[in-house]
Amino acid sequence: MKFFEPTTVDEAVRYLAADPDHRCLAGGATLVAMMNAQLVEPAGLVSLAKVDGLKGIVRGGDGGLAIGAMTLHQTVADSPLFEGGHALVRDAARLIGHPAIRNMGTMGGSISHADSAADYPAALVAADATIEIAGPKGRRSVGAGDFFVDYLQTALEPGELVTAIRLPPAPKGTASAYQKFARVEGDFATVSAAVVLAMDGGKCKTIRIAVGACAPTPVRVAKAEAELVGGALDDRALAAACKTLAEACDPVDDFRGSGEYRRMLVPVLVRRAVAAARKRLEAPR
Amino acid sequence: MKIEDSFHVAAPVDRVWRFITDPAQVGPCLPGCQGVEITEPNKYRATIRVAVGPIKTTFNVLVELTEQDPPNRVASVTRGEEGGKASTLTAQSELRLTPSADGGTDVHYASEVSLVGRLGKFGLGIMKKKAKSLGEEFAAAFRTRVEGATPGAVPEAAGT
Repeated sequence: MKFFEPTTVDEAVRYLAADPDHRCLAGGATLVAMMNAQLVEPAGLVSLAKVDGLKGIVRGGDGGLAIGAMTLHQTVADSPLFEGGHALVRDAARLIGHPAIRNMGTMGGSISHADSAADYPAALVAADATIEIAGPKGRRSVGAGDFFVDYLQTALEPGELVTAIRLPPAPKGTASAYQKFARVEGDFATVSAAVVLAMDGGKCKTIRIAVGACAPTPVRVAKAEAELVGGALDDRALAAACKTLAEACDPVDDFRGSGEYRRMLVPVLVRRAVAAARKRLEAPR
Repeated sequence: MKIEDSFHVAAPVDRVWRFITDPAQVGPCLPGCQGVEITEPNKYRATIRVAVGPIKTTFNVLVELTEQDPPNRVASVTRGEEGGKASTLTAQSELRLTPSADGGTDVHYASEVSLVGRLGKFGLGIMKKKAKSLGEEFAAAFRTRVEGATPGAVPEAAGT
């Protein structure tokens, strides 16, 4: 197996595009484990460790955030930049695995692997994030909702890699939360829910809800959200939205829980996430 | 891992039976199938390629039709191995054809699949979903083939 250590994104793209069986090595938290299990056998690894400009979190002039693809989960978990409508991404980072994993794994690596039970996908879809991509044909960006395509499958074309994740500006008065249910601490989610919302005089102004780990990709239903806008997010309205979301899910049966059990958990997690976001609105930190 | 599903074909049972027991007709409908070879009567050899994201596999399988009750039921045993990778697959399958009220055929299939080796470490839940979507792809391709083919193109079509 070949090993490449490029220092620029363009050079990394060249090595990656040279062979369809070359893969990017980011933190290695998942890829190396899968190689050890002989599930993937790349012909070459393109390490991104020495590539300039892929690390760190920057707040733009418009209030949006740009997170470099090689930014560690722990860096996100510790960052004070994730406030209001961005806080759910930090919530998600704090719930990924254990400290050892958070200090190895990267946001770009995690989303490129696209495990349907991972924490970032639902959080980024609810946050309305944009994924920045570099490839042989140049740079492009894709909305998080279109980036996740299927189990372990993203919109990345051969030779392409994620360079950054952008979160749009979150207007003042926006709050967010990510909630996860896992059998034991540090496990992948059995079910997760991510919410971004804004209230105006007791009425819901905007809301985005994404359910994680219950389908090949995060589940977002425009109708469920539209029906909540303008209302007070009371019990009845939430019950209807949760029902719509649970019906849109297509969960797997596995050792973390049956599909039926997961569907029953969807309303629980969505309500928890909505409640957590509302609590933050009332007592901003 | 139990895989079970059914689909409807707008063609009479006899016709569906001829197609579904003919490897030359079934092979091209199987997603990822790289060609079927008849080794002995009721024994076939095929190469099947499947991928879930970066996890790719190619299985060389031997299919043996163990029981046939034309045109109602066929049972088969499939044994496969992944070239040099120490993963093995065995499957006991049953396929039933039932005439439906509209003159068409309901095809019901059930398979008990066991996987040993490196792929056994991969999430069974996702594997089942993948099997279901491959089953749906097969059903769509098979339906097009059976419903679309002109009777003359069907082997031994004289009996229709």
